[in-house]
Amino acid sequence: MEFAIRSTLAKLDIEIVDLEGASCCPDPIYFKSKDKVAWLTVAARNLTLAEDLGLDIFTNCSGCTATLSETYHLLQDEELRGRVNQRLARIDREYRGTSRVRHIATLVRDEVGYDAVRETIKRPLEGLKVAIHYGCHLLKPSRIMQVDNPDDPQVLERLIEALGATPVRHENWHLCCGKACDSDEIPNQMMHDLLATVHKEKADVLGMICPTCFGQFDHGQMKIAKLFDEDFHTPPIYYFQLLAFAQGVPYEKLGFERQRFKPVALQRYEEVAAEC
Amino acid sequence: MDTDGNNQIVRVDFAFKRELARKVEGNLANFCYQCGACVGDCPATRYSPAFNPREIMLKVLYGLEDELLGERNVLWQCTNCYTCHERCPQEVKPVEVIISLKNMLADRGLAPPAADKVIQTFMTYGRTVPDNPAINKQRAKFGLQPLTAVPMDEIRTLLEPEVESGGES
Repeated sequence: MEFAIRSTLAKLDIEIVDLEGASCCPDPIYFKSKDKVAWLTVAARNLTLAEDLGLDIFTNCSGCTATLSETYHLLQDEELRGRVNQRLARIDREYRGTSRVRHIATLVRDEVGYDAVRETIKRPLEGLKVAIHYGCHLLKPSRIMQVDNPDDPQVLERLIEALGATPVRHENWHLCCGKACDSDEIPNQMMHDLLATVHKEKADVLGMICPTCFGQFDHGQMKIAKLFDEDFHTPPIYYFQLLAFAQGVPYEKLGFERQRFKPVALQRYEEVAAEC
Repeated sequence: MDTDGNNQIVRVDFAFKRELARKVEGNLANFCYQCGACVGDCPATRYSPAFNPREIMLKVLYGLEDELLGERNVLWQCTNCYTCHERCPQEVKPVEVIISLKNMLADRGLAPPAADKVIQTFMTYGRTVPDNPAINKQRAKFGLQPLTAVPMDEIRTLLEPEVESGGES
């Protein structure tokens, strides 16, 4: 995924500056559940690294974006900001709230635009059916994330159309991947119902913008198929893998061999390109 | 009436509610008027009726510590999808109240092993997934630089508990 991101953003004229000394965001589920003030403090430290450089910060994971966006939002409260800054003072840092937080999908939408993405495509993916999975944290809570309408989002559909492919909103598109739920029964049933409506659409791949969801739909899909004796087999694909492929990066370079379900439907576009 | 519909007087436990209110966003449940908007689209409720955000908020309003902070707690069934945050007309943010309750469970040593494991890994490596030679070997195959070190002395210093100053310890 990281290779795909670095390859695609360069072609979209976005320069990536790596943050030296950054830690995990940290994760918005268990770390936050254990101690929300510690969670805010670690996240604020990461934000100060971007502030030092005078840059905005983007992440390629919806959960990371949620942690950093919520921190930005909550630390507008002066009392809480003071409390977090007291901790940051121990390492001579101060959070100021000067760097904006963005998810990579909105970065591309807002700074590059769908038409400019389309102009970088070497292999239009005409006829490729891409089922859509937004996941939860890119969109909700919308008052904080400010990305799109969570009941009728457009960003992923439009990004996929820019590749020439056809987005498919399956019936249970709004369900969650279940990764953050500490139970077996709920995520298993939920994944089953979600994958059942993906399967019904006979999509070539299941497109998404969150690496955590990706894991759930790769090895998780195999587990669910076995558990419920179902023939679920829609390969998950991270949007920037798909974009890289459409921009001409060879199929073998995108790490698909490491996936349980491989998006072999893409190979037909390589053959078409080779014949031209 | 208690939450099971029995005709008993429930005493509101204000000490519990004060402890909850000291947590970040722990006091929001006071605005809950029990409309149930949080329940309709809750995926955890759909698959496990034992988890019901409206009932959890009612118990918070009463301050029913024993029912909310027991072992093997239903609160961990929350999928953290934030739909209740989206739906609530009173800006109670039920998911955040539930997270504050989880912070109280953690204070009492009742966090599930999955949470403890994530914290432990973070305290050691500064990452949720530890960096190791195998990861950097994979990265090299894709022409990616090795992962950079996280200054763990800084992280550990930040995670030292706060000194008591009238706030939470």
